[in-house]
Amino acid sequence: MDINRRQVLLAGGAIGAAALLAACSSGSGDTAADSSGKGGKPRKGGTLRIGALGRAGAITRDPHGTQANESDYLILALTFDTLAVPGAKSNTVPRLASWEPSADLKTWRFKVAKGAVFHDGTPATADDVVWSLRRLRNTPAGAARLPGVKNADSITAEGADTVVVVSEYANADFPLMTRFATFVMKKDTPDKAVAKAPGTGPFKLDWYRNGNARLVRNDKWYGGTVYLDAIEVTMFETPQAMANALFAGQIDVASNAGPIAARTAESRKDIQVVRRPDDMSMPIVMRTADGPFADPRVREAMRLVVDREAMVKQALSGYGNVANDIMGTGDPDYAKDIPQRKRDLAKAKQLLEDAKFDLSKTYELYTTEDVSGIADSATLFASQAREAGIKIKVVKQESGTFYEKTWLKGDLYTNYWGTNDSVLFFASKTLLSGAGQNESGFDDKEFDATYRKAIGTTDKQARAKALHELQQIEYDRSGYLLWGMADGVDLAAAKVQDLPKLPGYGRVQLENVWLS
Amino acid sequence: MAELSHAPKGSAVAAPAGTGAATARRRPLPIPHLGRFAAAVGRRVLMLAILLALVFAAVELLPGDAATATSERGESAADIAARRHLLGLDRPVWERFWDWMAGLFTGDLGVSARGEKITQMLADPFPNTLLLAALAFVLTAVASVALGCWAAARPGRLIDRVIGHASTSAFAIPEFVVSVGLLMLLSLWTGWLPAVTVAGADGRPATWTMLITPVLALVIPQTGWNTTIVRGALADQAATPHVEAAHLDGLPVRRVIWRHALPGAVPAIATGLATSTGMLLGGTVVVETLFNYPGIGSVLASAVSTRDTPLIAGVVVCAGTAISLVLLTADLVRARVLGSHA
Repeated sequence: MDINRRQVLLAGGAIGAAALLAACSSGSGDTAADSSGKGGKPRKGGTLRIGALGRAGAITRDPHGTQANESDYLILALTFDTLAVPGAKSNTVPRLASWEPSADLKTWRFKVAKGAVFHDGTPATADDVVWSLRRLRNTPAGAARLPGVKNADSITAEGADTVVVVSEYANADFPLMTRFATFVMKKDTPDKAVAKAPGTGPFKLDWYRNGNARLVRNDKWYGGTVYLDAIEVTMFETPQAMANALFAGQIDVASNAGPIAARTAESRKDIQVVRRPDDMSMPIVMRTADGPFADPRVREAMRLVVDREAMVKQALSGYGNVANDIMGTGDPDYAKDIPQRKRDLAKAKQLLEDAKFDLSKTYELYTTEDVSGIADSATLFASQAREAGIKIKVVKQESGTFYEKTWLKGDLYTNYWGTNDSVLFFASKTLLSGAGQNESGFDDKEFDATYRKAIGTTDKQARAKALHELQQIEYDRSGYLLWGMADGVDLAAAKVQDLPKLPGYGRVQLENVWLS
Repeated sequence: MAELSHAPKGSAVAAPAGTGAATARRRPLPIPHLGRFAAAVGRRVLMLAILLALVFAAVELLPGDAATATSERGESAADIAARRHLLGLDRPVWERFWDWMAGLFTGDLGVSARGEKITQMLADPFPNTLLLAALAFVLTAVASVALGCWAAARPGRLIDRVIGHASTSAFAIPEFVVSVGLLMLLSLWTGWLPAVTVAGADGRPATWTMLITPVLALVIPQTGWNTTIVRGALADQAATPHVEAAHLDGLPVRRVIWRHALPGAVPAIATGLATSTGMLLGGTVVVETLFNYPGIGSVLASAVSTRDTPLIAGVVVCAGTAISLVLLTADLVRARVLGSHA
């Protein structure tokens, strides 16, 4: 019932968008183009009104809870600091802490940033960080959020400003996982006071109500100059309503508005479309452990069948790039030198024949409507596969059913991932044999060994070599068909400058934003 | 009000649109009526309880549960089981239902699947929805009675036919089409009104102008429906002897409709409006989503998707109570007007 309503609403939005497009293209190029996006020297002041997606029933105020709402996460990320944040040159850069590993890469020392002070004036100490990390570790998802940290006792303070975290295994990429949820609160903050707890972040909470909030600048922030006086966050249930609010001048930024809203905005000169590449992967997952796709030749054939350009153009409305079946495309160490796989129906047919793939059967491809474009990608792929003689029937599942019945078990299904700036993230979570979210049942001794090499070395060259090998294996024989990467698309009024360009959670870094 | 005593069964009519309390003050209800009133209330409460039981059962039938729906992808089966236990989902559904109902009497609606207090989650959205629906209800009532009377005053003439066709088609258009149309017209093209509702620090719409489009989107279809009912009821009344007599006496049309036909049509109109309450509240789910209006409609939509039974039940209690009160009022109105024939 819910799905239907959503579809109906999407349709409503689409009608609206089309009509709007017509209305806008017929003239009124009035005050546009006066500020083209590069605004010169940053200027202090002003209030940024930003819209972010969220649903009233999913509201949560706990920094260590499960945040389904982008709006909630945005507000938390502006108020609290995580130990590390996503970066451009390196995917993980220091925020509230910098770090140093032991020689065996198991013990990590995090040093709290100098001058870090909570909004109420008390300095942030190692005790606060330890308490917060332990609280995070003790949540139901704690083991996944701090992977390798056995329990709360593995996190201890060493002096006033150093936190020691022990990993069960050597992990050169340990800080990567501290980017998401390691929000630091004051030690012993009671659960009841969490909603109003002071953070150390670039903005202080002025008020919060039902998913909406106003935040004001933290003049004492240790991380650099913050330009905006205030940020007002409004929660939107649909991207369409959020885009409409932007078009009507009620907000200045529509965060993660998506490709459909962006297409509407393209014709408006007073709106900038900010693309954040490598934001979302929507791979087709093929089961490697058993079933019709267990033969690596069949999987390669499937990867040769897909028309990647057409997929990006149609399923993503052009807001994206083709990909090469390797997960983690935004990684600074992504193997750009592995040749781009292209459509080759003749070779695909040959491989299928060699593998004695049963072409008389119809195979079911399971998909959801969880993110924009994912169901379209499945339908499109099915029709492309038909050109190679493979019969695929797309089966749409409701999100709950999908996660219960299909995910991690199905032979052929679509899924999506929001963290795409790390090859090792996927290697550890979805490709390592026995990993909790090994979607394709991938079990490859060589891959596992290479992974351990990559995370177990401090030597830059050895690490780079291992990373490259990992990606080659993934390209050759993993269960992933990654045809493309969706851009994150934000819409903003012309006056908004220096919006974040990073994928995924990078979109919440608003401390450098200013208004011209 | 005094004119209404000219109505067909004169003595039975007191205050058709008045509340039960107002009626009681004017003329105390005799004991049998009080008994009937209590029985009516009892029936409504029982209906609500059955509805809530159905909600619990229905969510149970949906695939997945709150523990899986609110989990992070990183969580293992054991983590999800732990969360399931935390949420009490490992207990039988009737037990959870019973506990929740027991809490209801103390005004405690429990906590959501994400651990937020439900009374707090609904504290702002419910009044917001009530405001939206009440404004729409009053406007619908006024507009449909006015249009219905206007059409009835010129039976078979052009204006009657125009109103007839217009109301049928207004009711046939779904809320979301009306909403999108109004949004384009009143906001995106002309810039007259805000496109969406933005709530302020007090949890209410930041400006009153934000209410106009959502209210209109609800009023237009419902006015269509109710105008048809008003017009129909007035046509029925026009055929009754006392109205025909008033006509033959040469009384002005307006007076005949207002004093002779309309009072008799009140039960039908009240019932029509009462059924509209349900449709109005149902319509808010769509309208609130399109206009980002901060009401319980959007809470409900997301609660269903996360299998958040206590939250869904909380919304149902609020909406159900509101609808029950209106239906009860309509019952009373009918009972007063029709007397023992009801």
